[in-house]
Amino acid sequence: MKPSLILFLLSCLLAAETISAQQVDKYASQRQMMIEEIASDASRLVKYIDKDSVSDRVMQSMATVPRHLFIPPEMRDEAYENRPLPIGYGQTISQPYIVALMTDLLQPQPDHKVLEIGTGSGYQAAVLSGLVKEVYSIEIIDKLGLTAKRVLKQLGYDNVSTRIADGYDGWPEHAQFDSIIVTAGISHIPPPLVKQLKNGGTMVIPVGTRFQTQQLTLVKKDLNGAITTKQILPVIFVPFTGGH
Amino acid sequence: MSPSDQTPPLSAIFVLSAAALAYEVLLVRLFSIIHWHHFAFMVISIALLGYGASGSMITVFQRGLLQRYGSVLVFNAVMFGLSAIVCFIAVQQLPFNALEILWDTSQWQRLFISYLLLTLPFFFVANAIALTMARYSDRIALVYGVDLIGAGIGAIAILVLLQFYPPDAVLRIVGVLGIMSGMLAIKQLACLGRLLVSTLLALLTVIIIFAPADWLTLRLSEYKGLEQVLLINGTRHLQRHSNSISQIDVVESKAIPLRNAPGMSLLSPSGTPDQLAVFRDGDEMTTIDQHKDTESLVYQDYMSSVLPYHIHHAPQKVLILGSTTGNELLQATLHNAAHIDAVEPDTSLTKLITEDYAEYFGWDRISDRISFHNISPRGYAASTEEKYDIIVTGVPGGSSGGAAGVHALATSYNFTIEALEKYLSLLEPDGLLSITFWTSTPARGNLRLFATAVEALRNHGIDLPGNNMAWIRSWNTATLIIKNGALSEDDNKRIRDFSTSRAFDVAWLPDIKEDEVNRFQLLQQPIYYMAARSLLSPASKDFIDSYKYHIKSVSDNNPYFNNSFKWSSLPELLGISGRGGIAMIDVGYPTLLFTLVQAVIAAVVLILLPLAFVRRNEKPGLSRRRNIVIYFVSIGLAFLFIELAFIQKFTLILSQPLYAVAVTLCAFLIFSGLGSLYAQKKMSTSSPEHIHRLLNRSVTLICTITLIYVFAFPHITDTIMAMSEAARITAAILLAAPLSFAMGMPFPLGLTATRRNDPQLMPWAWGINGCASVLSAILAILLAIEIGFSGVMLTAIFFYALAWVSQPVSS
Repeated sequence: MKPSLILFLLSCLLAAETISAQQVDKYASQRQMMIEEIASDASRLVKYIDKDSVSDRVMQSMATVPRHLFIPPEMRDEAYENRPLPIGYGQTISQPYIVALMTDLLQPQPDHKVLEIGTGSGYQAAVLSGLVKEVYSIEIIDKLGLTAKRVLKQLGYDNVSTRIADGYDGWPEHAQFDSIIVTAGISHIPPPLVKQLKNGGTMVIPVGTRFQTQQLTLVKKDLNGAITTKQILPVIFVPFTGGH
Repeated sequence: MSPSDQTPPLSAIFVLSAAALAYEVLLVRLFSIIHWHHFAFMVISIALLGYGASGSMITVFQRGLLQRYGSVLVFNAVMFGLSAIVCFIAVQQLPFNALEILWDTSQWQRLFISYLLLTLPFFFVANAIALTMARYSDRIALVYGVDLIGAGIGAIAILVLLQFYPPDAVLRIVGVLGIMSGMLAIKQLACLGRLLVSTLLALLTVIIIFAPADWLTLRLSEYKGLEQVLLINGTRHLQRHSNSISQIDVVESKAIPLRNAPGMSLLSPSGTPDQLAVFRDGDEMTTIDQHKDTESLVYQDYMSSVLPYHIHHAPQKVLILGSTTGNELLQATLHNAAHIDAVEPDTSLTKLITEDYAEYFGWDRISDRISFHNISPRGYAASTEEKYDIIVTGVPGGSSGGAAGVHALATSYNFTIEALEKYLSLLEPDGLLSITFWTSTPARGNLRLFATAVEALRNHGIDLPGNNMAWIRSWNTATLIIKNGALSEDDNKRIRDFSTSRAFDVAWLPDIKEDEVNRFQLLQQPIYYMAARSLLSPASKDFIDSYKYHIKSVSDNNPYFNNSFKWSSLPELLGISGRGGIAMIDVGYPTLLFTLVQAVIAAVVLILLPLAFVRRNEKPGLSRRRNIVIYFVSIGLAFLFIELAFIQKFTLILSQPLYAVAVTLCAFLIFSGLGSLYAQKKMSTSSPEHIHRLLNRSVTLICTITLIYVFAFPHITDTIMAMSEAARITAAILLAAPLSFAMGMPFPLGLTATRRNDPQLMPWAWGINGCASVLSAILAILLAIEIGFSGVMLTAIFFYALAWVSQPVSS
């Protein structure tokens, strides 16, 4: 091989490395900006989530998950914008702010086992992966579930187990769960999921369309197994402020 | 031969006008199916500006175009037929996502391209008609009359066609009609190489008829419920039925149950049986339960909507208003209702449970107790003399989780003050009216219902309406009970027991205590209870004013129940848009306003632009130009204001929105066309004095009749609604006939006068009127939301008066 050719190939490799490194930097800085935006927005929610911010652990996890790898390549430049993005099959990857809130409401702990209904892109499972011991995620649309499974495996989220199935029945083989997150559209809260929730556990259900989360339903099962639900707006908005 | 010696190509104009109006109605259906109704309204409103664009273009190029009139007419007619199909296919290829429009700026570019594409067919039609008027300028009223009559026939024809053929097939028919009108023009004008061109057009017709079905297959938004369900393994599309008001799809999911049970209690001992999903226009899913035995339907007893049967055991007579796919029927039969009258205006839904899937639904087991009535709830309520123990309204399809406010622009007469009063009058003593809605966060629709019910009870002579009302809510539904009489202690106990045993929250009872609300489904504020207490108090107005959504009671004059948008809340919601505020904005009203802004900008450009091209020595003085603008804008606005107000009034009278649209459009356009023909006949000489006199008479007549109707409608509505169907349709036509006959005159009279004074500006005036018509359709809804339909009609009178003052002939 001619030295000039070798030099050319080496230059190409170096250039590719440089571009790749620049992209990594670009995404890392975008991710950091996204985290700062979420922190700023969430700090105003003190009244609603009974604390002054989203927990540091949740924010750290979101700061490490490469969101851009969970969406179609042509949309990667928009990956860290604070908005939902289409991922095909009529599904979306949720708005980062909403992901942060939902994850925080689950109060994830390192020894927790979490069930997710609606794997979607796999991003929510990836965020949970760094926060809990095990994540079990169910997707009803097979193509979507298979893609998410592949991405999660490639990125090394080994504590996430996925399956293609109907999420309504939960995953009885691995019950009980410390928390459950339901991102699929439902007309009522599925009783099997409530049964698979540990006493003292929490379930979160976002309600709305694919591009608009109108509210979050927080289902709490107390230590005696009694259930209460709470409707939480993702933002401070009091529709009625009169003195009645 | 000079143009005055020739007969205008009336048959071609007739067919073309019919096809154009049919296309307009068809596009609303097509876009309602592939996207959502309010976007359909926006896209098509803007596309109609093709009429304005045509006027501008002809103003500039009319000399050249008129010299080749025959060829140009044929070209435009054929291009309408072709573009009607090709442009729709092109729009379907655009990856436009209506739901993403608030997030993604590239959606706006796609929307803009959609506008441009859909403007084309209307541009070609308008060219053909305007050039014909310019060519036969001594018979403008004749051409216009035929145009209107053709459009009237097109309005009725499209509704009939859509009853029997799917929308994509009807699109081919519209395309062929465009080509046909071109062939008719060739035949009549003996232009072009008649044989060669006719052969080519015949070939084109064959291509349209036999074009691959895939080209025209409707590609629904992937975010619509139907598309999402079909992605699930094991689902099977069983049936599609299409008519002029909806497309119904039935889907089976054998491997994975659908499990639709709005707000089912967590304490239900069993889940749902197998179900079939039913979608209307690809969304708003409802389900048909497989009724094997009573056991399989136990879950129905754990919905909030079943409450009335726990207060009033074993009712003799039950009325279900909006029985859709039969859930409320099952609840009534499970609770031993002796007889059920089921009211459902959409026969295709009734047919699903009584014929197509009768065995699945168990129709034979319950049919002996049920009578169906194919009429609107208001129509039935007005015509029946029966009395009921329980009246139930069906839970609407879909959920409040749908895009906020997408139904904001749809009128509904089923939950107005007048409607609730009527339902109350059908109750036996101690009978119950039960209404279940989906809840939304923040609450609005349910609060509006409560406010409306309070007013209806007061109008019904109840001084303390709170004593007759109960309100409970589940996770995502709320059920309001209104009793014909005060709720007893025993009633209150039953409601409490029912709610507690299902973990539902009580939001209102006559003896409610503050500590018993907001126990199971916690809200950040117990807003339902707070609202009930406030709306029943003397301070209800303060509460309504201070609430951040529009929750004032709804009347027949302003029946936009689903529009809860309030201007004062917008800055706050926009300020928090990145944190979820967008989802709390009811998008219907802002979409309408945004459409108006776009239309105004486009209209101003289209109106002003041609003046730059008119030669200085041909340009009339400022006052004449101003008069032309004011006159044609005024009659363009006023005509549609009245027409749209009539569609609403007739929706109530005729009990079927479909009949209302068909009768109104047909009657208005045909009688207006006859009015225009009458004007042509009277104009033996188009002297200014003659036109002036005729115009005076027609405007006086329009204003007088409209004024009478504004005050008479509320008084005659109930009388007409109680008549037989044939009598109601006849009455509606008789009401529309004299007014629309007079309304057919001002436009051709004004155009004739313009032609006489400033012939080069006649196409310009046509374009101005086209632009005004587009603005009118949007403004009429905005005005109706703000001041009601009577206000819209009074505004129309004002514009007719303004037109009279600025009539071109007087200059």
